[in-house]
Amino acid sequence: MAIPAEERRRSPIYRALEAHGARFEALGDFAVASDFGREAAAEAAQAESLGLADLTPFPRIGFKGWNIAPWLAGNGVEMGETSNRAYPQADGTRIARLGPGEALVLADRSGAGPLIETLDQAWSMAEADGCFQVARDETSCWLLLTGVHAPSMLAKVCAVDLRLQAFAADAIAQTNVARLNVIVIRGDLGPVPAFDLITDLASAVYLWGALLDAMAEYDGAPVGLAAIRALLDGSEPSS
Amino acid sequence: MMTRLPEPAGLLLDRTEQVSFQFEGRQYQGYRGDTVASALAANDVSVLSRSFKYHRPRGIHSLSGLDANTLVQVGPAPNRFADREPLVPDLEVMGQNYWGTLRHDRLAVFGLLHRFFPVGFYYKAFYKPRWTWPLWAKMIRRIAGLGTVDTNAPHGYFDKQYLFCDVLVVGGGAAGLAAASQAAAAGAEVILVDENAALGGGLLYGRADAGGIRAEEERARLVGDVEASDRISVMTETACLGRYADNWLPLVRGNRLYKLRTKALVVATGSLEQPLVFRNNDLPGVMLSSAAQRLIKLYGVKPGRRAVVATAGDEGYGAALDLLDAGVEVAAVVDLRMDAPRTGMSDTLAARRVPVHAAQAPWEAVPQRKGPRLARVRVARIEEDGVCAPSVDSFSCDLLVVSGGHAPAAALLRQAGATFTYDSARHATTVAELPPDVFAAGDVAGSTGLDAAMADGRRAGWQAAQSAGFDAGLEPDAALAEEEPAAAQAAWPIFPHPDHKAFVDLDEDVQVHDLEDAIAEGYDHVELLKRFTTNGMGPSQGRHSSLNAVRILARAKSRSVDETGVTTVRQPIVPVTMGHLAGRSFEPVRYTAMHFRHLEAGATMMPAGLWLRPEFYGDKARRQALIREEAKNVRDNVGIIDVSTLGGLDVRGPDAAEFMNRMYTFAYLKQPVGRSRYVLMTDLGGVVVDDGVACRMHEDHFYVTATTSGVDNVYREMLWYNAQWRLKVDVTNVTAALAGVNIAGPNCRPVLETLCDDVDLSPEGFPYMGVREGHVAGIPTIFLRVGFVGELGYELHVPASQGEALWDALMEAGKDHGIRPFGVEAQRLLRLEKGHILIGQDTDGLTTPHEADMAWALAKKKPFHVGIRSVRMQAAKGLTRKLVGFEMPGVDVEQPKECHLVIRGGEITGRVTSVAYSPNLDKIVGLAYVAPDQSEPGTKIDIRVGGARMVSATVAKIPFFDPDGARQEL
Repeated sequence: MAIPAEERRRSPIYRALEAHGARFEALGDFAVASDFGREAAAEAAQAESLGLADLTPFPRIGFKGWNIAPWLAGNGVEMGETSNRAYPQADGTRIARLGPGEALVLADRSGAGPLIETLDQAWSMAEADGCFQVARDETSCWLLLTGVHAPSMLAKVCAVDLRLQAFAADAIAQTNVARLNVIVIRGDLGPVPAFDLITDLASAVYLWGALLDAMAEYDGAPVGLAAIRALLDGSEPSS
Repeated sequence: MMTRLPEPAGLLLDRTEQVSFQFEGRQYQGYRGDTVASALAANDVSVLSRSFKYHRPRGIHSLSGLDANTLVQVGPAPNRFADREPLVPDLEVMGQNYWGTLRHDRLAVFGLLHRFFPVGFYYKAFYKPRWTWPLWAKMIRRIAGLGTVDTNAPHGYFDKQYLFCDVLVVGGGAAGLAAASQAAAAGAEVILVDENAALGGGLLYGRADAGGIRAEEERARLVGDVEASDRISVMTETACLGRYADNWLPLVRGNRLYKLRTKALVVATGSLEQPLVFRNNDLPGVMLSSAAQRLIKLYGVKPGRRAVVATAGDEGYGAALDLLDAGVEVAAVVDLRMDAPRTGMSDTLAARRVPVHAAQAPWEAVPQRKGPRLARVRVARIEEDGVCAPSVDSFSCDLLVVSGGHAPAAALLRQAGATFTYDSARHATTVAELPPDVFAAGDVAGSTGLDAAMADGRRAGWQAAQSAGFDAGLEPDAALAEEEPAAAQAAWPIFPHPDHKAFVDLDEDVQVHDLEDAIAEGYDHVELLKRFTTNGMGPSQGRHSSLNAVRILARAKSRSVDETGVTTVRQPIVPVTMGHLAGRSFEPVRYTAMHFRHLEAGATMMPAGLWLRPEFYGDKARRQALIREEAKNVRDNVGIIDVSTLGGLDVRGPDAAEFMNRMYTFAYLKQPVGRSRYVLMTDLGGVVVDDGVACRMHEDHFYVTATTSGVDNVYREMLWYNAQWRLKVDVTNVTAALAGVNIAGPNCRPVLETLCDDVDLSPEGFPYMGVREGHVAGIPTIFLRVGFVGELGYELHVPASQGEALWDALMEAGKDHGIRPFGVEAQRLLRLEKGHILIGQDTDGLTTPHEADMAWALAKKKPFHVGIRSVRMQAAKGLTRKLVGFEMPGVDVEQPKECHLVIRGGEITGRVTSVAYSPNLDKIVGLAYVAPDQSEPGTKIDIRVGGARMVSATVAKIPFFDPDGARQEL
């Protein structure tokens, strides 16, 4: 069991997670919430209904510039030309194309991101050539909103139509959530609707509180990695 | 006498759950499903409120949540409609607008003095002589208005939610239900909203056939169809406030405001039953026929013992049959029409021996001798429209049910831009034109009869689905079932009485003669008439009064109703609370990585833009002393301050230096890697807008700091200009990505040396204004040697996720050196001692570099930077003011405050921008704008402080402290 304050890297939300009774596990230099003291089935049920997870400790990296597409392609990334769409990669990472000159690479649901490591190693300022690395793991916090009530709850804080029938899998909205600039990415956990919310790291505590307040109507609560794993395991066909 | 009826009457009631509540301090019982008004009716409480002007007793009139008759105070909330307020346990309800008791209102004397209060009297009174107005105002404020606002009431939790659909149907009556099903069948996602607790509209309480069974059968079928569709979402008890551009509609339900966007809109809001106008038509016991039917069908209340029904159309016949079924004796049906047509209902009434008096009208309602309620009604023969022969009959009764025909419930359509026309043959209003993507169905569109309404609903639903982009197939069958065509209603439902008290608008106590007098005075335009008489300006917004007022105006001016026109309808079309409009407020706030460490250290936090920063640390009562101690510790020892809120921008690319050279006033092309340089930004007008430092990290990479509150604007400006210049540059805002600490003071180097082994911190290895990259406590760090507070200092910029760890490490390492955090106030004092300006505090929206004495930051040889032309023009033109330092003795002098004025010979020459007592210098130091000829050091200036007292200060050379900068370059 990890203790956030003893790790060198800390999510800005770790105190809020502790206040909700989180239990942590280590992930790189971070501690990440694994569960909140419920039975395993209850953790998964919470995420199926309405859950909010802090994925800020998960690896991610960004690239900006007029030459991102060829540079990323040259480093093994498969990314389409359509912006505001996430492109799943073979290793489970996702490339969120935010515009012709901006992309965000997100770790998979377990917090692994070999492609991110590869890209980080490959990039240097000396050979940037119009593709500049952005420390998205430091500029932005990453929250995951899960569950069948997520679209209704989001409608309380966001003006974009995020209903499942209107906001398809891997769709991206760069919009305003609770008066913050937020990147919303549809990334379901198997059959369970899920939305990645990427926003200003310094506003993480505020957004966390605003979302939990909006979630209260649906009995929403924080969830951890255990619930995410359970939903993903449950969605995989048994061998 | 009103009593509760047995089931099946009372469709909305749950009789298994009794609810206790209070009205006017007395305890009553109702059922779950009751409204406050229906529960009071069931307890035979007939007076709910007092009228606005004459304080007449008022009871149930429409029972539709529209009229002021039912306005009550519910707990701390004033002006709640009792006929819409759900009954919940322990509700405390009070009447409104009385002095004394609801039953014995002393202000009812206004009714006796009505001759002295003609319409619009307040426009002509009170203002002469002028000195009397404050007295009148005090009195009027005391007696005017309705409920009482409890300023200590707890804040309610209101919020907002967005909704989306293909077709929105407003109105859940026969037409709306049919429209929703039709649109959903075509594949559209439909939201159906209705302001009532149950779907069905008029089918819930109206009578569609003589047998009294068809309305419920049709309702069950239509509602069943809607409930069976998974494409229809139903929202009951929901009010639509209006329609805005692009079919954006606000809806209110409970404590939530919904913001709905739809592709197509169907308005099926039905119609509003209109009153009859005659003497004392406002007595408790006189109510619309639909109100009596609602009481019976929805709430299981028998509305009276013996009734008279007066009607301008067929509606009264159905009401009479419903009253009979509820056990009410119906003394007579009075039909205003010259020839009352024979229908199935009239035949049934005749069979039940209820006499029908055609071509007659209620002439006067007579109250009890010692009570407010109806005792009898006098009926007269109609000789011509609005003119009656003397009273021909008198009926003893406690209930007079009236129906003056129907007007479309057209507020939403009118506000949305629809136009209507008056059908002078049917004496009814119908839709003329609709805006794009808006459709009308049912009574509101002018259709009459149940079959017609359902067919119209299907047609509108089909059209709306098509409009929303669905292939809706062929137009639904419009053929009508066999149904009796609705007969025209009586032309004129208004019967003024020589003794007056024939009310057109019950909300505002506007009588027939009030309108006639106003028209005679020249207020003969419908908008003027409304404003002068206030007809239609009450809570019901003319829903029961506008049509009759227009009729009176049309007749007086010998115009048609269409020619006379109607008043403008504006949103919100139904009352809405301020709480709904405000909703849940979202106020983003930004925390630095060390925020909680500051709180743990007892910091008082202050806003800085969206951020919170420590103002100082420790007991608030010792604020000033603590600030000075913190500053002194920096001068004598070592302090650390969280500077994470400073803006950070990465400017990268082969043209980065050229870009910097264009954005800022200094020169950057030859800035060496590993060095920082001051940056000053001006706008196109040459006004100073931001400053910071530019660190050259790589030939193609500048890391640029900006002010806390200015960085977003700087970032926007950079993107804006680069979009035009098309340089090979990328700009990224990395403010949140980097936590920053400024560790400063003569002992800061040894603290840092214990944590850093990969950067040479010596003065030679890392000189002033140098930039390095290395590690502190293993944390990757950008080091900046800066001197903002005038001491040896290092700004350490680290990944935000490691900011707290950095803070912890520095505090631990600095323990033996007496390290202490300092806040923004101490930093302000320290920088003031050094004479460093703060953009936004020492500059304003007009400050130029020369005024701020910053010509040193202007590159002389480069051809361009943003604002260069203006800056050079200002320089050529000469100064009108200049920012200078000033000082005053530290004791026995009143210290000026920021923005106190510099005065010379009665003229303002400038103002103080920063000022503080410096414990290091033992004097007051400050910055101020003065006239150019006052800027020489040694010049005496006068500053006007509080109470218009003048104090003297001396212009001084800055920096005040360590003028050679020796301490910061240690």
